Amino acid sequence: MASQSSNLSVIGRAARVRGRITGAVDLEVQGYVEGEIAVGGDVTVDSGAMIGSSVHGRRLVVRGAVKGDLTADEAILLEDGARVVGDVRAPRVAIAPGALVRGFVDTGANGSAAPRTARAQAPATRSAPVAVKHVPAPPTKPAAKSAAAPAVASHLAGSAAATPKNAGPRRPPPPVVPALKKAKGQIAKKKER
Amino acid sequence: MAQARTTTRSDGSSSLAARIGSGARVRGRIHGDGDLLIEGNVEGDLAIRGDLTIAEGGTLTSKAIEAQSVTIGGTLEGDVSASGPVRLVSGANVRGNLRGSAVAIDEGARFSGRLDCEFDLPPELGGSSRTETRGRSTARR
Amino acid sequence: MASTVIGAGITIEGEVTTDEDVVVSGTLRGKLTAKDAVTIEHGATVEADVAGGSLVVAGSLTGNVTAAERVDLQQGARVIGNVKAARVTIADGAQFKGNVDMDV
Repeated sequence: MASQSSNLSVIGRAARVRGRITGAVDLEVQGYVEGEIAVGGDVTVDSGAMIGSSVHGRRLVVRGAVKGDLTADEAILLEDGARVVGDVRAPRVAIAPGALVRGFVDTGANGSAAPRTARAQAPATRSAPVAVKHVPAPPTKPAAKSAAAPAVASHLAGSAAATPKNAGPRRPPPPVVPALKKAKGQIAKKKER
Repeated sequence: MAQARTTTRSDGSSSLAARIGSGARVRGRIHGDGDLLIEGNVEGDLAIRGDLTIAEGGTLTSKAIEAQSVTIGGTLEGDVSASGPVRLVSGANVRGNLRGSAVAIDEGARFSGRLDCEFDLPPELGGSSRTETRGRSTARR
Repeated sequence: MASTVIGAGITIEGEVTTDEDVVVSGTLRGKLTAKDAVTIEHGATVEADVAGGSLVVAGSLTGNVTAAERVDLQQGARVIGNVKAARVTIADGAQFKGNVDMDV
């Protein structure tokens, strides 16, 4: 039921992702990601998560470690336990006691140094490392919940399911788009590397 | 007449040693022991062995600010080097670089500048980030 | 209670201006201008020209003093400088060296 909840993708605790993550989705990272994250929804970085690259979303809530710039269209919240080395820019920024930051911080910044768009347009051409985003699934796109590059969304969801430690307790697993099954295989392969 | 009931005790405990009232303006250097509360307007370097508080409505413009803990509810322009925590509360308006044992910025505080907390990233992300290389995507495995 | 208090452990080198009152227990070098009462407590060291509505000095003050109303030097005060005010009192035990001008 195309509710927002089905837009949530999760990188589980044991997952390691190398490559860009984009899409009009909400994202929860519990594991390790290296490669730009640029999504249109909310990003939650859990306390054990580690991200070695920049993160962009609508709202970011960070409790884990990030080495990269954080930008958001609305707000960034660094909570107790957050460890950030990188710049932090958003129209609203709050840093709770216990969050540690090293970098340039700008509250009231004009939203986003939105890297290459959360809309995940171009990169189809990008080669190799982009495990996650890449999916040539375009045609069956409509199935995906939201506008733009949503292929990635379900795509991610698919891969999330592949990882152990999925966000079980949180949301029902998103529907799997048949066309993406083969993409999923691709992902698994990349992950093993 | 008014007793300065806020003098520091000789046992070293830091009570409020100095308060720049809302109608006051100071141009010059301030240094010493004890806590400092700024409700007025201060321009100049600051080095105190105590806590610094800039109340809402207070303004501090400085090239060098040293204190134990720092709480800012007013306006600050300058670099802060605190041995303790630095906290910006709602209503604060700060431009400058902040260094402290910890830095907290409440929702509603405005800040533009660098934060420099001492800590190490987990080793998977490069351990001590003095190397300052961001977004390295080499497969360090 | 004074609106501005410069406590015993604090040193200010520069100018202090206020439209309220001031109590100095610490050290001030420079210039002090207040609209209301100025109190220089015992133990304070002020090396500055001081102007205020009124002045009470029990500490050390080197500089010229101007008060709209009155200047009171209390016992223990050490003042070197000229004093100008409508009324001046110098208590027994206060040390003073300078001119007094009560011609307002």
